[in-house]
Amino acid sequence: MNENAENKEIEDILRKAHLPEPSSKLKEQISAEAVKAWKQTSPELPWQVPVRRLIASAAAAVLIIWLTNNSSDYLMVQWQSSGSKIANQQRSDFEELTEIPYGPLARHLVSAGRRPSITDASVLLNYAETVRNFLSESQQNGISKPSAPIKGRSHLFPTQSRIGSYS
Amino acid sequence: MDKKLPDNKLRVALTRNDPAAVEMMWDRYASDLFAYLLVGLCSRHDAEDVLQSVFVKIAQKRHRLTKARRLDAYVYKIARNEASRFIGRRKRERKVKSLDESWLVVPEGHKEPDDMVEQLQAALTRLPEQQREVIVMKIYKQKTFLEISRFLGLSHNTVASRYRYGMEKLRTLLGNILS
Repeated sequence: MNENAENKEIEDILRKAHLPEPSSKLKEQISAEAVKAWKQTSPELPWQVPVRRLIASAAAAVLIIWLTNNSSDYLMVQWQSSGSKIANQQRSDFEELTEIPYGPLARHLVSAGRRPSITDASVLLNYAETVRNFLSESQQNGISKPSAPIKGRSHLFPTQSRIGSYS
Repeated sequence: MDKKLPDNKLRVALTRNDPAAVEMMWDRYASDLFAYLLVGLCSRHDAEDVLQSVFVKIAQKRHRLTKARRLDAYVYKIARNEASRFIGRRKRERKVKSLDESWLVVPEGHKEPDDMVEQLQAALTRLPEQQREVIVMKIYKQKTFLEISRFLGLSHNTVASRYRYGMEKLRTLLGNILS
């Protein structure tokens, strides 16, 4: 038997039953409720729709801006606190390496370089002045004079005995 | 449905803000919507409740209804939303729908055995809702696939394939009656 004939047979069987219709009592009840709702709902004026949409859009825009501001403030605070933590951590790590040549100057430069970015021009000038003073002082005190390198050993790396074995 | 009252007459009645439009809406939609809700909810009592909320919603949203591109599709959308809201409420309240409730009946004057109607109802209930609604609209409301696709906002092919799959399942479920 092909599909159409089989479908026809099923349709014929299904048609032996039917779906009930809504009763007249139900019609009266529902119509009364619907008319009541009809009368309670005021007619919508044509200008109300665009005004309502405009208000909704403005409210949504205000909400989005407020949320963006708040989230950016929060992220900035998070970023600044995590940045200072990392800088402190790196500084302390660096201070453990005592055998670096030009120790005080190098430490000062490294810590200065890890400061948060300076955007204010006057602060930048002050900073440059401080570095210049420090360099001139260092030169006068003879700190900047490098010690004579030991034959066969680099200034840039710590001694083998201090740091462990290099293979 | 389309033969009962043209769209434009109904739109005019709705635009005039005349409560008599409720009667027109009832004549045009009540029977088909009731069938649609009946097969969706599988309960006559629940279908009556939801039908009432659908007509109240229609009355409240009559201004949008007049602007709707397809009146039928809009009304069915309201019915679909109300039915799903009702099902959600039923789930939240942990009410179990009565499986014994009869929503398929034997026409007066016909002498079909009761157990056969029960088997038909059980088989239809076991179909997925999407297939069941297409089959019921096609068989019990004599709608074409095109009309069903407009009501449900689906493509013609989707409706046809849901019907085909549903019939395949019914062939298995009603195997004993068919043979």
